[in-house]
Amino acid sequence: MTSRSSLRPVDVILRIAIVGLVLGTAYIHSTLGGLLFTLNATGYVVAAIAIIVPLGLAIRFRWVIRLGLMGYAATAIVAWAVQGPYYSTAYIAKAIEVVLITLLAIDFARMDGNPVNVVKSELALLTSKLGRRAATGPAGA
Amino acid sequence: MKRLLLTLGLVALVAISAACSSTAAEPVPSGPIDPNGPTIVAKNLAFTTTTVEIAAGKNVTLHFDNQDSAPHNVAIYQDSSASKKISVGQIITSAKSDQVVPALAAGTYFFRCDVHTNMTGTIVVK
Repeated sequence: MTSRSSLRPVDVILRIAIVGLVLGTAYIHSTLGGLLFTLNATGYVVAAIAIIVPLGLAIRFRWVIRLGLMGYAATAIVAWAVQGPYYSTAYIAKAIEVVLITLLAIDFARMDGNPVNVVKSELALLTSKLGRRAATGPAGA
Repeated sequence: MKRLLLTLGLVALVAISAACSSTAAEPVPSGPIDPNGPTIVAKNLAFTTTTVEIAAGKNVTLHFDNQDSAPHNVAIYQDSSASKKISVGQIITSAKSDQVVPALAAGTYFFRCDVHTNMTGTIVVK
């Protein structure tokens, strides 16, 4: 893993912009009513917290949160394109999500590097851990 | 990384293009407003009137009263597959609107809120 944990001023600005956009689209979805939109808004709020929370686990797996949020926003865009409705508020929400995905991709590139390499190195790490555990055998056996 | 950005950009472009092309096909309501037309009320994320009767062969003004703080509309389709649009009302929030429905042949039609597709009803044309 080549992830960087220290934040430069540009990273802070980027992170603030990401959180702002996430909360913006969360707010729009929260005004729409209904279970699906409320759950969508809740998901965005959780993601906004996860992207900045200074907890060890969240920092270690921030790359997963970035990719997950990108996938979440992309899913919301595709679902809207299929289902609609097509009106001004929806266009604003989708524009926010497009910008959000772009900023997340930039953030990912700056902090983690190439996503393919990140996934490969994480899988290699996981495989070696599992291999070590299998070689040691279960405790007390 | 560039490939990922390009892919995401293309997905967004396709999604927005699809959405824009669908908007262009929406029928635009027009004609004189009849104050005696039927009223459909949206309240607590449901239509209070789920069956509306209208006369066949003439334009009908549908009055829509959205009492929710959530956005709703009345979109009339040929049937519940919602594939063929007949009249799509404006999406409004905490407001009223009038919608001129074009003359329809006798039969049963389907209406729903395009934002909350579980809000549905039936229009019976006699």
